[in-house]
Amino acid sequence: MAEPLERLTNLLALLLETRRPLTLQQITAELVGQYPVNDHALRGAFERDKSVLRDIGVPIEQQVLSGNDAGKTAYRIDRRRYELADLDLTDDERHALQLAVAAVRTDDQWGQEGLWKLGVGGDRPSRSVAATVPTFVALPVLREAVAARATVSFGYRDVGRILDPFGLLLRDGYWYVIGYDHGHDEVRTFRVDRIDGAVSAGNSGSFERPVDFDIRAVFPSDPKLLGDPETEITHATVRIAAQRAALVAGEVGEVAVTRRHSDGSIDVEVPCLNRDAFRSWVLGLTDHAVVVAPDEVRADVVAWLGQIAGDADATTAGQG
Amino acid sequence: MVAVKRGPRPAQERLRRLLVMLPWLMQRGDVSLAEMAHHFALTENEVIADLELAALCGLPPFVDEMIDVFIDDGMVYAGIPRVFTKPLRLTAPEGFALLIAGRAAMSMPGAEPDGPLGRALTKLAATLGDDGLVVDLERPAIADRIATAVDAGERLVMTYWTPARDESSEREIIPRAVFTDRGHWYVLADDERSGAERSFRLDRILDLHPTGEFEARRVVVLPDTQRWFADDADVERVTLRLPTDSLWQIERYPVDSIEADASDPAMSIAVMPVASEQWLSRLLLRLGRDTAVVEPARWQMLAASTATDVLAAYERVKPAS
Repeated sequence: MAEPLERLTNLLALLLETRRPLTLQQITAELVGQYPVNDHALRGAFERDKSVLRDIGVPIEQQVLSGNDAGKTAYRIDRRRYELADLDLTDDERHALQLAVAAVRTDDQWGQEGLWKLGVGGDRPSRSVAATVPTFVALPVLREAVAARATVSFGYRDVGRILDPFGLLLRDGYWYVIGYDHGHDEVRTFRVDRIDGAVSAGNSGSFERPVDFDIRAVFPSDPKLLGDPETEITHATVRIAAQRAALVAGEVGEVAVTRRHSDGSIDVEVPCLNRDAFRSWVLGLTDHAVVVAPDEVRADVVAWLGQIAGDADATTAGQG
Repeated sequence: MVAVKRGPRPAQERLRRLLVMLPWLMQRGDVSLAEMAHHFALTENEVIADLELAALCGLPPFVDEMIDVFIDDGMVYAGIPRVFTKPLRLTAPEGFALLIAGRAAMSMPGAEPDGPLGRALTKLAATLGDDGLVVDLERPAIADRIATAVDAGERLVMTYWTPARDESSEREIIPRAVFTDRGHWYVLADDERSGAERSFRLDRILDLHPTGEFEARRVVVLPDTQRWFADDADVERVTLRLPTDSLWQIERYPVDSIEADASDPAMSIAVMPVASEQWLSRLLLRLGRDTAVVEPARWQMLAASTATDVLAAYERVKPAS
């Protein structure tokens, strides 16, 4: 029997060259002496080869024959679907892609494998600017589904979801997929790293994305803006002590500074639509930040602190 | 060439590599064995083994050409049958990786929208079908200034706020690299004060001045931010008991272990390295009353005392209305 690599290469060449689909019988007749004789072992070996080829991205087509060979499965590879499309990249464009891949730190080799196919190899260039980008096996599947307009299904928080994926967004170090959730009949956002198990994609062209869809608009840049649209309170005013004034002004921007006090403290107006994110932000500044308005938001933070302090009367501090 | 000792490569990996080697050889013509090994990150022996095996392939009558390879005096000569002259299409993960790398690089300091990367991305997107993929690195304005200083090797003076000690101080640095990880931007620099490489968060730089002094550039290895202080055995640990549905709030930080609480399925036990007491007190405030410090004992009252301090600030600063 041949080495696994030799047999795989021959099988690949055979299926690429054949004009008509070949049955397993015909394949073994061509690859003389390369497959086991025993029928059971032959089928096992052939299944393994097929799955290796599919794993590396070879599009093997199969069809069930009629006529003389009725009922038999036959295989071939469509060269047009197998070959890398001509990208017509110039040398400087190739080099730019190589620099881009070098500037992104991931846990996988996907980028390098892709570069090899584009003819780029050799040492990884050193970069003085870099970004760590988390990757998950679900991401490429979701990206293709977005591009193909294919409905996907996946498990999320122990519930099966059916989603028309409109887009993928990396923000704040997390990947989000945003789309129309069939079960909830509305556009929803999901954290990709919290998806349980595999994502399966349905047929291409199974939905249309709203023409005005803008992922950045759906997903506001400030997490404090995300949240319950029912509430009318969108912003809160927070007094920042002098020690943190410069830091916070730099973070929220000068336009958000509504007042400067003589002791060096400042008032900033920040979004609080997402109360959890807002509270988390304010508490991160400990006693250097105090919510001064509106009363409801202030009382909310005071009540939270009171529960931690274990003081039932703490809520009185919230009142004027 | 240094031979790297490693186990035999699986057939799948060798086939994948072979399918990019053959079109590359076809395009390059005669090439030195050393160059080929370097290009594909293999040893010369691995290249020879793969090519020798490839030479055994080819099957009349379906494939009328054989893969014809010979290696002589460090040079590779190859005749590649038509069937293997083009690489296999990009897989979904490869296409994804190239697109996100390109998009990420486009939002880094120094990117030119009309440059070669932009053109390459347009071509890739046309082939892969691309829309609705957004990589948002949200860099602060200061990142560009520091990236320029890195390229120039310029010494800088900054005012930096250190949360662990809650103080700001002036520090002199030679910036070596700018990077982003988990939503924050950092500069990796030679730090004068410690005499060592240190990473600083850009949003904690309160002020930055050039010095007009320049040093030779130096290539640095970027740190793994997940392990900054987690790997340090001297760093103290805290054991927290918290609601399982609050675990997402600690997932940004290094964690030694997370286990379900045997006595209550809704609760989890997490052991984490503690950057500083101030850091822990902020974390406990965010987690709220349902989280408790199991040990060490001296931190069991930390959340309550911090909350009391913050409530005192609310007593001092009255509502605006």
